[in-house]
Amino acid sequence: MTRQLITLIVNGDRYQVPVAPHETLLDVIRDQVALTGTKRGCTSGACGVCTVQGEDGRAVLSCLALAIEWDNRPVTTIEGVAGEDELHPVQKAFLEYGAVQCGACTPGLIMTAKALLDENPDPDEEAINEALAGALCRCTGHIKVKIAVREAIKAMVADAAAEDSHGV
Amino acid sequence: MASRKADLAVVGRDQPRLDGAHKLTGRSLFTDDVVLPGMLHAKIVRSPHARARILSIDTSAALALPGVKAVITHADAPKLYVGIEQPLFRQEIVNYIGDEVAAVAALDEATAAEAAALIKVEYEPLPALFTIQDATRPDAFLIHAKAKGNIAWQQAQDLGDVEQGFAGSAHVRTDTYTTNASHNCYAEFHVAIADWSLPDKLSMYTPTQTAILFQKSLAGALRLSDGQVRIMNLNTGGGFTGRTSVRPHHDVAAVLSRKTGRPVKVRATADEEFIACRAGGEVKYTFRTGVSDTGQIKAFEADITFDTGAYVESQMIVLTLTSSYIHSLYKIEASRYSGRLVHTNNIPYYFHHGGGLAQMAFGLGQHMDALARELGMDPIDFHLQNGVTKGHTSMTGTFFGSCGLAECIRKTAKQAGWKRKYGKLPPLKGIGIGVGAMASGAKGVFKHDTSAAFIKIVDDGSMSLFVGLPDMGQSSHTAMAMIAAEVLGAQATDITVISGDTDIVPLDVGALIQRGTFNTGNAVKAAALDARKQLEVLAAARLGVKPSQLVFRDRQVYPKGQPDKAIPLKKIVYDTLHSREGRFVMGRGFYNSPKESGTMAYSFGAQIAEVTIDPDTGFVTVDRIVASHDVGRAINPRIVEGQIDGQVFSGLSQVLYEQTLLENGQVMNPSRLDYRLPRSYEMPKVEHIIVESIDPFGPFGAKEVGEGPIVCTLPAVANAVANALGEPVNEMPITPWKILQILGRRAKARAGS
Repeated sequence: MTRQLITLIVNGDRYQVPVAPHETLLDVIRDQVALTGTKRGCTSGACGVCTVQGEDGRAVLSCLALAIEWDNRPVTTIEGVAGEDELHPVQKAFLEYGAVQCGACTPGLIMTAKALLDENPDPDEEAINEALAGALCRCTGHIKVKIAVREAIKAMVADAAAEDSHGV
Repeated sequence: MASRKADLAVVGRDQPRLDGAHKLTGRSLFTDDVVLPGMLHAKIVRSPHARARILSIDTSAALALPGVKAVITHADAPKLYVGIEQPLFRQEIVNYIGDEVAAVAALDEATAAEAAALIKVEYEPLPALFTIQDATRPDAFLIHAKAKGNIAWQQAQDLGDVEQGFAGSAHVRTDTYTTNASHNCYAEFHVAIADWSLPDKLSMYTPTQTAILFQKSLAGALRLSDGQVRIMNLNTGGGFTGRTSVRPHHDVAAVLSRKTGRPVKVRATADEEFIACRAGGEVKYTFRTGVSDTGQIKAFEADITFDTGAYVESQMIVLTLTSSYIHSLYKIEASRYSGRLVHTNNIPYYFHHGGGLAQMAFGLGQHMDALARELGMDPIDFHLQNGVTKGHTSMTGTFFGSCGLAECIRKTAKQAGWKRKYGKLPPLKGIGIGVGAMASGAKGVFKHDTSAAFIKIVDDGSMSLFVGLPDMGQSSHTAMAMIAAEVLGAQATDITVISGDTDIVPLDVGALIQRGTFNTGNAVKAAALDARKQLEVLAAARLGVKPSQLVFRDRQVYPKGQPDKAIPLKKIVYDTLHSREGRFVMGRGFYNSPKESGTMAYSFGAQIAEVTIDPDTGFVTVDRIVASHDVGRAINPRIVEGQIDGQVFSGLSQVLYEQTLLENGQVMNPSRLDYRLPRSYEMPKVEHIIVESIDPFGPFGAKEVGEGPIVCTLPAVANAVANALGEPVNEMPITPWKILQILGRRAKARAGS
């Protein structure tokens, strides 16, 4: 099979990877870049566990994206979300409010929620529901996930206000 | 040991799960994340026919494909059975669409898939049976010669004088219900990596609820000793009762690894998920209950027929579970049970969330509700009048050492505003109650129901806790660390839980029959007490008191009432090791129910659902659920809430959404787009009421919360729909189409009158 060398930029790191035309972004991130936080689920865009963020911050179902189209385009995966010393506010809220159970869908949920909040820092209920609609989860029944997302929004809004008042 | 809430330092407080940060940052490993050196990828060739004779299998083209390392068929594993009657590969007759015929291992997945497509199998299609009705006709052919009448398994039980009970009843009601095939929709798909090494040892990575059953099953099938099989369950992406037994792909991986001498991974594709695993199936229930004119149950009879599909693995357990369920919920003096598993040419049946009991509760809860209505009784009064109470011993020999059923019912009714709403809501709005009970572990799988635990404490005060209990999301490992921490005066975060490797951890029957918190919790408590005893020697001597007067709390040890004399726990540990004796602190403990059979404790719950029916679409919106659960003691309250949430979701999902559509044995909706589950925006507000009845036998009084809530959700939602509609829907799922049919029939009747 003919493979083409592309440069994948994952969480700011550049990887030269040979990709076949049929290989997805998910395949390459997991199998060649060897970052397995992005989970492989239905591979047909139905479950949301493979969600990553593209260069514009939008949520991307990596199982439906052909790797060859991601030459030189930055991608953020779950491994690139936390800061050096602490979790991202969305991760913190998921932990504190009990929105993590089996954990197989968790990375996809975090990426989905983060993509939403990067685009719209203060989404209303409808926007949250719309964003999360593509992520399936039986363990949590979505209930604490929604609570965690709302709490993360509160924390981020408060953080932003605190930074403003300090003139940062 | 402290048992009052105020005396507890760790148990009963919210503790974020210890592995949470790993899961949230993508660091936690699942089986599909594991890559072993030289690992091959396998694909399974499955029958496209529901029943057919295999005329020939030609593997030559597949074997000739570059990259293919092995092809296996029945000839490679002629005597290998998955469970009791399912040969790993079929030799003559295939029995369902998806039946395993061959498998191939190749360097990569794409090559394996290509090779699988090159295996030529010639079939002669044969007639097949797809429904209980067809399979049990007197002239039906036999799917397996030894299962006469296509009855794979049956069980009957008669307790008390049933005839007299019915004869003495003022009122007798009979109802029938049907449930349909469904699927667990695990976030982590079915997957196994087998690594067969020499001298013969099989190591297998796979998600499971019970490593020991997998170990024993694989050892038996592959003719190895238990010690030659090592199960490594990393994180398990959901269990829902469906990961309690070995499936064919586990054996396929093992045989291919033995043949190639390399590790082999098998992972189900999206549609294969639905073929390799049918959770629940067509089940027919008939319930008959006799009551006195005051609503006291005098006799109960259940007749249940399960479509078990093409093969039986361990599904007969469902007969035992459903046979005695009624006695865990109501005080009954006469009961009859008759249950059977019927073979069809459908995918083998396996459990869905709720283990067969939640699905039974869909009908049973509606039946009891209808009976109460017929008597002019409020269902709440009916449940309170007949429900089991603390100190009761059932006809099946269960002693209820704790029981919060009445408290659950009363608190839930109050919070939901039941009296204000029941019978007073506008048309197409409804309210319904569901009550339930659930065992906290039970003997029956083995003669024992043992969990064991080790704990080691190193000289900086940090600890490792070794348990065989898998954590498939229920946060049991965090609960186990909290129990050990409470006993040892440590914090849960001081403890690393080591699990998921049968070569390392002690025995545990596993995370099934809701036994984790109760059984493994008691084992962990015993191990921690054993370790504490070793520390007490030095601490008591140094503080000049008896060991029984010592308090272990907040990483300190002090005489009771004298925290000012505290010595840091880690200093006690350090000095115990750095002494003439040089004692390394290692605690060990195990727990096994002292009873001959059955369980030591039941949990109880009550839920009230409110629904609205859209007359134009037939769609049911669940507006609110109030859910109470008697957990004995909430070890980790927020996690208890999370367990309730998940089960409320799964319960209302099963009642209103989920169905694996089978047409002549073919799954018509094998995708997560076409198999509907509620989306996040379809979930109602869930209000939790945690009832703590402090069980005398549970660790710190704790009981299960693993499946108790879901047995309440199904009847609560179904009864709310019946209340809104003014008539019940006796077949699950209650789809918009079924509701539209009822509304349409009524509109027609009105137009005609």
